[in-house]
Amino acid sequence: MPRLNTFSILQAYRRDPLLPLLLRECRSVGSARNELHWLRQHALGSRRPDVSQIYKSLGDTRYGWRSQLKSMCRERSRGKPLQYILGNQPFGDLDILCRKDVLIPRSDTESYTLRAARLILKTFSTHGQHPSSHLRPLRVLDLCSGTGCIPLLLHALLAPHFKSMSIVGFDISAKALALANDNIMHNVRLGSLDERAIHEVRFYQGNILDRRFDQILESASQGLLQLAANNSSCTYDKSLKYDILISNPPYVSATSYRDGTTTRSVRRYEPKIALVPLMGHHDLLSTTDYKMEDTFYYPILLLAFKLEAKITVLECGDHEQADRIAYLCRKMARTKMNGVWHIQIWDCDWEDKDGKSSHSKIGSRAVILQRLLPNAVLD
Amino acid sequence: MTLWVCFRCIRSGRHFRGLPILIQRRAQSTTTNNGISSALLTRAQALTAEHSSLSHHLTESFDAKIAKRVGDLAPVVQAWTEWEKAKESISELNVLLDDPDTDAELRSLAIEDLESSNAQLQVVSDKLKQALIPRHPFAELPCLLEIRPGAGGEEAGLFASELLKMYTALSSRLGFRSTLLKLDTEEGQTEDRLTEAVLEIETDGAYDILRTESGVHRVQRVPATETKGRTHTSAVSVMILPSFPESGSDMDSALNFEDPNSDYYVNPQDVRTEKMRASGAGGQHVNKTESAIRLTHIPTGLVVSMQDSRSQHSNRKKAWQILRAKVASMRREAREQELVNLRRGAMGGVARMGRGDKVRTYNFGQNRCTDHRSGITVHNLGSVLDGGTGLEAIMDSVRSWLTDREIEDMIAEESAKELLKSQTNVDKKNS
Repeated sequence: MPRLNTFSILQAYRRDPLLPLLLRECRSVGSARNELHWLRQHALGSRRPDVSQIYKSLGDTRYGWRSQLKSMCRERSRGKPLQYILGNQPFGDLDILCRKDVLIPRSDTESYTLRAARLILKTFSTHGQHPSSHLRPLRVLDLCSGTGCIPLLLHALLAPHFKSMSIVGFDISAKALALANDNIMHNVRLGSLDERAIHEVRFYQGNILDRRFDQILESASQGLLQLAANNSSCTYDKSLKYDILISNPPYVSATSYRDGTTTRSVRRYEPKIALVPLMGHHDLLSTTDYKMEDTFYYPILLLAFKLEAKITVLECGDHEQADRIAYLCRKMARTKMNGVWHIQIWDCDWEDKDGKSSHSKIGSRAVILQRLLPNAVLD
Repeated sequence: MTLWVCFRCIRSGRHFRGLPILIQRRAQSTTTNNGISSALLTRAQALTAEHSSLSHHLTESFDAKIAKRVGDLAPVVQAWTEWEKAKESISELNVLLDDPDTDAELRSLAIEDLESSNAQLQVVSDKLKQALIPRHPFAELPCLLEIRPGAGGEEAGLFASELLKMYTALSSRLGFRSTLLKLDTEEGQTEDRLTEAVLEIETDGAYDILRTESGVHRVQRVPATETKGRTHTSAVSVMILPSFPESGSDMDSALNFEDPNSDYYVNPQDVRTEKMRASGAGGQHVNKTESAIRLTHIPTGLVVSMQDSRSQHSNRKKAWQILRAKVASMRREAREQELVNLRRGAMGGVARMGRGDKVRTYNFGQNRCTDHRSGITVHNLGSVLDGGTGLEAIMDSVRSWLTDREIEDMIAEESAKELLKSQTNVDKKNS
């Protein structure tokens, strides 16, 4: 980390005595100012920027907000993520609660999810058919869901277009599971999520690397299907098939976790289990070009082929890893299944408007595996 | 026990809220002849003639274009016939009154009738006026209200935040839903010095109501920051922009910004997006909080930057909304400027009130607020700055001033066009 120069520290201090504290983590005056603004809003007790509240706060402020702000700034200077201090992070139009020991949703993931939602809509509304006319619910499987941000955002974006959906999220951590369930209720209460989400989105505990994961998944999906069948008049097939498989698995390598690529704040405060694959996969340990950080992709892809997912979205750390995963996809597609497969790699700099992206070498990627069948319509 | 009130509060007049509002008005009206200028009447006559000839044409052969034109003209014709009828009955009554042979009973009846007819004429003239004046293209839309301090340093920033409060109060009093899209304040312990604010007023038709507010608002007072008791003059600029809905498809074609043929189309290819990108690894490796977005519309050079939200996604959405509004109002202004140039070429200097002009003065020393366009003065600053009845009185007077100006402009434009036509005819004859 390059040193902060004295001038910018002085400049920050003149603007606000608390800014130099934030500067330690933010590294630039502009972003430190923004963080101070958000922290102050939080301290004043208003989460959303509302005029009346801001101006009211000038008159009757919450007692002790200044000392609270100061202590929050001190925490931030030690590297505690802003999202853990404030307790939430906006994700699309949702407000995702964040708590210690659960990975904070990243803006890259947000961008992939928005783009994936658009791809899903495009895929399922071809053949001149509006997606809502499908009788079968759209089935989505999210692996390593953490806060549950991906399934919830997908539900928020797709619910207006599909009559019914069935979304299943899996995570190994019990804390993440509790938080994800809280997030459903929190967003339904805020009105950013349709009430359907309460019975259409379910989170289950499970370890993807476990040999018995298939059975866990099967029992979970059967349970959900039965529950959904009671709730609506849709027809269901009992087969273990999913339309969409999406995942943001741990993908940081042990070296890049240590050598400074992963920032101090992430290392100190966010759960290592959500970042670095800690155990290898039984099928792969013997192969020579096996990399530990790719551990999760193999079982997830196996599952994707087994469940006959039409679209699989996998987030990767960098373009090299994305290339490796894309290669793995191609290899598995050749041996496992016949059919036409389309594999592409998405950039993290996707624009919402026109899909123009500036192919930079840095930043995360997502690998998309699409199954192209001439009759790829639901029912 | 003594109650004390600080000097500034007495000056600002906030404690005199109960006092009746004194409204003074310097006559600056352009209306004559029962509220309708003669030029407007000739125009109405011409349009009626056009309507009758076109409908005659329609009976012979149908043409969609002509039918549409007839439909557009129908309200004018209806208002015109009503107006003529009212006028006729008045003149008849007058004849009756002037006649010395009329007996007393009939005379008193005629006087009564005349009164009611006059009242009706007023209503009908307003109707005619409304039918003749073209609606502003953005009139139906919700609006964005942008406030920026101008000359005057800190004092301008302080007053800008007071204006923001004023408009928030006004919109809540009128029952409009308003949200703050953007709030940039200067650093300090208190956040009451604005550097920029954008308020979104989400009610349809808010643009038409608030468009009287565009322009430079001037404040004259002894600022809180002043130590020697001198009066300062500072300025805050307010801009009213049309707010387009998120997707343009549910709007009529002229306003659809997603339609490349629309006047207000913004091509995404023309917009450069800049965002804060941390160099180095992304994804799970880092947890960046920078969410600022800056959009640049390359053809016009307009720049919108947004950093209020912690989500880049919502910052981008808001920035696009503001950019679209700015581009649309810029194009609209260019159109209006063309017309002004046309008129100027034909008739010489025509004054125009743009958003760069000073429109209103808030004088705290004299506890008054004066609008320079309609000439109205309200002697109760408190009721203006609270977004109360005083402000509404001013806005109403400015709105009627604007309508008058629009009529004048329209008439001037018509005559300018005719002048051009006759000139070209002369040129043709000469050649």
